[in-house]
Amino acid sequence: MLLSYHDIMDRALSGPYLNEEEWDLQKIAMTTARLVEKYKLTWDPGVIVPDDPGLVDAVFEAGLELAKEVGVYSRSTERIVEFEPGELEEGMRLMPQTLVMGEGKDARTLYARKIMDDRLPLVWAGSPGTPFPEELFLPSVLSWAQEPIVDMVTCGTLMHVDGREIRTADPIEIIATRRELQYMRQALRRVGRPGMGMLAAQSSVSELGDLAVAHPDYLRPCDSHLVPMLNELKLDHRNIARAVNSIEYGMRNASLPCVIVGGLGGDAPGSAVVNVASFIVSSLAFLADYHLCHPIHVRHIATSTRSVMWVESVVEQAFARNAPCIIVSDIYPKSGALTRELLYETAANAIAITVSGGHLEGCGSADGNLPNATGLEARLMGEVGHAVARQGMTLQEANALILKLLEKYEHVFDLPEGNPGVRFDQAYDMKTLRPIPEWRQMYEEVKAELKEMGLEALG
Amino acid sequence: MANEQEHLERIKQTIIDGDNQASVDAVKEALAAGVDPLPILNEGLMVGADIVGKKFESGEYFLPQLMLAGRALKAAMSVVEPVLKEKYVGDEAVERDTGIVVIATVQTDIHDIGKNIVASMLTASGFEVHDLGVDVPIKDIIARARDVKANIIGCSALLTTSMPFMRDLINLLEAMGEREHFKVMVGGASVTPEFAERIGADGTAPNAIQAVKLAKRLIREQREAQGAG
Repeated sequence: MLLSYHDIMDRALSGPYLNEEEWDLQKIAMTTARLVEKYKLTWDPGVIVPDDPGLVDAVFEAGLELAKEVGVYSRSTERIVEFEPGELEEGMRLMPQTLVMGEGKDARTLYARKIMDDRLPLVWAGSPGTPFPEELFLPSVLSWAQEPIVDMVTCGTLMHVDGREIRTADPIEIIATRRELQYMRQALRRVGRPGMGMLAAQSSVSELGDLAVAHPDYLRPCDSHLVPMLNELKLDHRNIARAVNSIEYGMRNASLPCVIVGGLGGDAPGSAVVNVASFIVSSLAFLADYHLCHPIHVRHIATSTRSVMWVESVVEQAFARNAPCIIVSDIYPKSGALTRELLYETAANAIAITVSGGHLEGCGSADGNLPNATGLEARLMGEVGHAVARQGMTLQEANALILKLLEKYEHVFDLPEGNPGVRFDQAYDMKTLRPIPEWRQMYEEVKAELKEMGLEALG
Repeated sequence: MANEQEHLERIKQTIIDGDNQASVDAVKEALAAGVDPLPILNEGLMVGADIVGKKFESGEYFLPQLMLAGRALKAAMSVVEPVLKEKYVGDEAVERDTGIVVIATVQTDIHDIGKNIVASMLTASGFEVHDLGVDVPIKDIIARARDVKANIIGCSALLTTSMPFMRDLINLLEAMGEREHFKVMVGGASVTPEFAERIGADGTAPNAIQAVKLAKRLIREQREAQGAG
């Protein structure tokens, strides 16, 4: 029988005590390093999308072994939540294979994708977690929601409400998150897609916002919200509160472990192992309905780095082969709006995700750190994902194409100031909410290049 | 029997290897063999720490190696520092550009990887680091800084909505009349030099290597100011 959140809370109160530093070093870093050696896991930076079933199966086995061996750490109680034999397997067996997001004519069904799946990935547009000034918030959501290729939307976080600064755990988070949802619902109505599914409640770091918008006027039961797992393999009462509230309300839980590639798991193989373990544990500890795959590069942040794309690809393939479930993968490029590199990064990331078994979410352009994201790169993300599925791209073809794209953008990781591009309102005409001609032309040129490079099905 | 250079080489290697026990043993053996504590510090431990920092920056080392090296250095420092102080008491030549740092992720923010990297790098560079963890109330940060007579308070926040607490900390220090006692460094993915200046911090750095350089500069400034005073 699947665990309930009562079981998780009980175990968080009664499990073995451990100092957090020991958890990080002994339980996570050392165990992962040992498993990487045991399963002989290596990666070649020249292979971003591996076509190696033995490797991805070994990563899965190592991740399962890590989850079984260490469990998950409660930062609130400084105790380890351990799992009984068979519980984790049962949790994986019960992971949803399909999930309807949204309602009415705008509803879409997320599904567990396969490797090289010829079914189209769903396109979840937005720049989740990116701070946006209030005056740009609604226009940015409109820019994503109005794109016909987009299936669901997400959003940034409000930086201010009525000129007031938003502080974590402050009552203003309630106002901010309700305001966010008011804008989101307004945007969906304005583009004629009121039933579109959402991933939202981004404007509140604490659980206050999640609790404040669990109401049909704001986040509906057909929408979802994030339950973050802390780095690495940690939870706390506040995030459990989000999950509990959502379960009681009937809304979808999305687990979000942002594994640091180059962090406690070490290099890419160890980070993939930690990511696999995090998804497995989230199925039980957060009663997750689906998983968000969002590894973060320890220095560059971006998901378009070689090692992070490798982790995304391997983790998706590992689950597709061993424990099918719904995985939505984030695209957080280094570059921002009105740069060619943003489009190359988006394309490379979308190819890796789609061919490996994920759905698409993004783009958190400019590292998701600045309001320099627009609907246009989300459109390209979706178009590239659809083209990959339609033309039946193989893993090897995907790898070759990504390597060509890396040549076009990898230099941005050496730029001291990054490649942030421009703000939303400098890349879009704020009256028509269309990309300015220069941005539109850049997009057309890059699309033509992508077709030339082998993405023939790109419309 | 090992000569001085071999002792120093071994000490350096224990830091590079992140071997806690071996670093303590190596320092003890070197001291027993009559090696001066100053080269043990500067040519053994610090050189090893510098190599670890470079390996991390180049992507050869990852966070676990950095944390282990920090631990090994801390353990070794606990052996060598008392000897160093006893031998060179009052000697300005050994006064280094390191000091005491109290570091924390500010209240309401629970992200610690960046803060841990900076804490490890500071430790590995010879600072005495008091890492208070995450979600630490600003009054607790200040209280600890007073208790340990810190030179620097380091505040970290990944979340933009937690960054205002950095400003609160500086405001509280000023209200308490204690601002001049501490240098305040702020850091985090969204912290910019403009933000640091706006809230009255003494500086910020884009990465851990730069954070160590900044901390050393602040210590020098503080000592110069104290000397001038």
